[in-house]
Amino acid sequence: MSGTNANSHLERELAAKRKKKIVKTVQYTLAIIVTLIVMFPLYWMLSSSVKSQEEILLLKPTLWPKEIHLENYANVFNRINFGKYYYNTIVMTAGILISQIITGVFAAYGFSKGKFKGQNLCFMIVLGALMIPIQVTFIPIYIMCANWGLSDTFLGLILPECISPYYIFMLRQTFMAIDDSYIDAAKVDGLGRVGVITKILTPMCKSTLFTTTLVTFTNGWNSYFWPKIIAKNEQRRVLTVGLAQLKNTFAGQATMNNHEIMAGAVMAIFPVVILFFVFQKYMLTGYSKAAMK
Amino acid sequence: MKKMLAVVLTAALGCGLLSGCSGGSTGGGAQQAAQGGSSGGDSAAPAADPSAYEVTEPITIQWWHALEDQYSQTVSEIVEDFNNSQDLITVEATYIGSYSQTNEALVAANAAGTGLPAVTVANTPYVAEYGASGLTEDLTPYIQATGFEIDDFGKGMVDASSYGGKQVALPFLISTQIMYYNKDMADTEGITVPEKWEDMDSFLEAASIVNNGTTERFGTIIPGWDQWYFETFYLNQGVNIINEDNVSTDLGCDAAVGLVKKFREWVDKGYVNWTTMDSDASSNMRQAFIDKKAFSVVHTSSLYNTYVEKCDFEVGMAWLPGGDTKDQEIGGCVLLIPSKNDQATKNAAWQFLSYLCSKEVNMKWARETGYIPTRNSVLQTEEGVEFLKEKPAFQCIFDNLDLINPRIQHPGWNQLATIWKNYMLEMMVEDVDISTKLEDMVEEINEVLEDA
Amino acid sequence: MEKKPFLKPRTVSAVKDFVCVLPALVFLAIFTYYPICKLIQISFTDWNLLNDRWSYVGLKNWIWLFNGSGTKHLLNSLKVTILYSIGELTITLVGGLIFALIFNRMNAAFSFMRAVVFVPKYVAMSSAAVVFLWILNTDNGILNYFITSLGLPAVDWLGNRNTALLSVLLLTGWRAVGYGMMIYLSAMIGISKDYYEAAALDGATAVQRFWKITIPMLSPTTLFLFVTTFISSMKVFQSVDILTRGGPYRSTEVFVYKIYLYAMEDFRMDRASVIAIAFFVLLLAITASTFKISNSSVHYDS
Repeated sequence: MSGTNANSHLERELAAKRKKKIVKTVQYTLAIIVTLIVMFPLYWMLSSSVKSQEEILLLKPTLWPKEIHLENYANVFNRINFGKYYYNTIVMTAGILISQIITGVFAAYGFSKGKFKGQNLCFMIVLGALMIPIQVTFIPIYIMCANWGLSDTFLGLILPECISPYYIFMLRQTFMAIDDSYIDAAKVDGLGRVGVITKILTPMCKSTLFTTTLVTFTNGWNSYFWPKIIAKNEQRRVLTVGLAQLKNTFAGQATMNNHEIMAGAVMAIFPVVILFFVFQKYMLTGYSKAAMK
Repeated sequence: MKKMLAVVLTAALGCGLLSGCSGGSTGGGAQQAAQGGSSGGDSAAPAADPSAYEVTEPITIQWWHALEDQYSQTVSEIVEDFNNSQDLITVEATYIGSYSQTNEALVAANAAGTGLPAVTVANTPYVAEYGASGLTEDLTPYIQATGFEIDDFGKGMVDASSYGGKQVALPFLISTQIMYYNKDMADTEGITVPEKWEDMDSFLEAASIVNNGTTERFGTIIPGWDQWYFETFYLNQGVNIINEDNVSTDLGCDAAVGLVKKFREWVDKGYVNWTTMDSDASSNMRQAFIDKKAFSVVHTSSLYNTYVEKCDFEVGMAWLPGGDTKDQEIGGCVLLIPSKNDQATKNAAWQFLSYLCSKEVNMKWARETGYIPTRNSVLQTEEGVEFLKEKPAFQCIFDNLDLINPRIQHPGWNQLATIWKNYMLEMMVEDVDISTKLEDMVEEINEVLEDA
Repeated sequence: MEKKPFLKPRTVSAVKDFVCVLPALVFLAIFTYYPICKLIQISFTDWNLLNDRWSYVGLKNWIWLFNGSGTKHLLNSLKVTILYSIGELTITLVGGLIFALIFNRMNAAFSFMRAVVFVPKYVAMSSAAVVFLWILNTDNGILNYFITSLGLPAVDWLGNRNTALLSVLLLTGWRAVGYGMMIYLSAMIGISKDYYEAAALDGATAVQRFWKITIPMLSPTTLFLFVTTFISSMKVFQSVDILTRGGPYRSTEVFVYKIYLYAMEDFRMDRASVIAIAFFVLLLAITASTFKISNSSVHYDS
């Protein structure tokens, strides 16, 4: 009796193990296929960027470049003022990042841990702003900024982007998840609001801060629409606009210079992708707090 | 729900407060600037006193252009020459983007009343809109005061750059529609390029290679991204794109229906490729011609040098097949001075502008690109003969110079054009009833013309 | 901020808390709400960006939009935007959840693969779009090469009504699906193991556990993703601008792009304004009703 029992138990365990193994194989296979598919556009960008023009126009495309033509990158650098665009993009992104973090952290504190009359109303004002893209309101904004003399200036590039309702929203959700007792204790210890934010809330929400800040950084780095409108002059042109110009410029010639366009695209996304892989370990935990509430 | 109601209320409240205090002032600012600008122009008009247009102080001015990378060498040489030729004016040239991007930037800066260039290029169809709104400075007094030889331009070009009797711009880089064809192919296969609309059928049959329904070589490619390329087919069949009443179109008439049906027939047979409007369409078309996947393409004459450089066969140029008439239209760009600039800037701008439109600069462009020489004193003299020796393909343009007409001028033209090319593409690609589609289109266009 | 001789500590604290959010509110007032008011004003004028001497025309533009030749375009944009929105929501929510299930394994290899799937979110739209333009190119694109080598006819991806919107979705979906996966995965990790163990003891199968535990426990996350994705999908602009420019024949003219076209191609600021306000009100209404419906169906674990 007990023998058969043990036997069937063993069998069940074996079956479970077999099943686990099948699940594992299927999971690995699917994951690898999906990863390869998602990776393909990026791979194609990179591989096209080092091909010669003859090679990209072959009727039978080559998956792996026959020869490596790094001079495509040099060509892009020579044709348009890429160095200048990099500099402009860095300054603009830094400005957007700093102002969004400062205004965002304080506002998130005020909305999550603060108490004042009309708090919900004010928060709704912030949320409402999420629904208004700049593509709808840019004409009044442009006229305002131009009249303030902000055309072709860094301030003009940064100012309309210096608040992000999304950033405030995400941080507020995260701060809400932190128990009030920590803050009360800190207040007893004599910490003011700035102290609570810098010493308690920020360290406790490190991963979310990293994740959302990276989003903010990426949005700033990748912003295209507003810079194109406010900064027409070469002196303040940013990378994304320069890249689009690269496309116009090359399309103006009689051929497809997609290899050089891809080289420009690779250079434009390079810093962001590097940063992404550096902060990648925070990603998984970073979203959980905000998304669960 | 209560919360959302609160949002709406706050938003509305905020709106009221804000527009109350600042709404009026911004609009007023723009209007003031406008009045300042236009009154300056008006008061200057009657007096043709040269001293009023002199440049007395050093000044730096902006020139916006749409000249792509392949022209950058020419642009910088020309600007440098000008800057070295005198001490007072320094010109900075800025590449803004395509014609439409330049147009957007100019209109936005004009609406703001600040950040305007001293001189800018503008694609020919924008002249009417700009002229009607007063965006551009009337150049007539400048021309009179400085004795600029405006009569040396062809009449069509002068008309194309004026609006309502005012010379609101000057012709700069002028081109026209052209059919580029593979001359080697034409010679070896004995294909005759069509001169008349009626020849198109036999021409396309000879020039296209279609195997079991798939096209290996198109007879021709027609750009669907800009109606400019198929506009003349209509005009030469006697279709009024805008009727004389100025508020309606005749694009639904029998002749127009016939044209669309014919195009569609060729597309169905695989003879004609009607291109899409996406951003790669133009380079795809050129690549197809270079790769010999098309016998011919309809494009602008300005790209002649680029085509010649990229093709490993001889490139021929032909006048588009005509109907009752064989008229064509001016393309390319004019130069203008935004009227909201101050007078000192305008004076400097005028000096630079008249230099850009001078014969020497124009010939430099004509030699180094595919733009057409604009001066009668070139076209009808030895110089013109010399030029043709360098570029024999331009013979067809020289033969027909007086058939190049100004564009149709109407403040609603660009809206019409957008509607038209969208419907055309739909009728070329989708299975739709052409007559009904055209009725819809005409209704839409009439509405736009009436309201413009 | 009235100066009274004695302020209660609570009032002081409230004022300080309010000061924390004040900069954000001021900026939003200037750069978001003031322009909206300006648009409301413009919607009653005939301003076309070029004419400085505009005048008030009453309800003309509103009538044009709701009971005139503008209605057709409004409905078309509404249709296209909703179709697009459904597409992006499906990819982000359903695709994201499926991806989260596939990539739910904690080791170095999976961590790397997750990063690869997530990274497109951080690739600039302008860079991503030129790559997709290149992949989707009719004559020289690699996608058509694969298709034709299978013996199928080449597809004009961007030049055809049936595939243009799909192509735009392909691009945005590529960038969004990893994000959906990451959000779901981080939420799945947060679900307490106790629930699953209890269910396993009761003899529930894996599929049952998924439907009875995972899905309900993920409902706050789904709501979060739904609302944020919905709002951002309604605002789609750049992918359309680079890939199709609203074409062919208006089949990808989403709302924001249509507004942009009215403003910057036709310079009809009056028409752009009415359609912009209609868009904003619509978005607000849909978002509000989503919150209302979800209040009754979302399961919070507390």
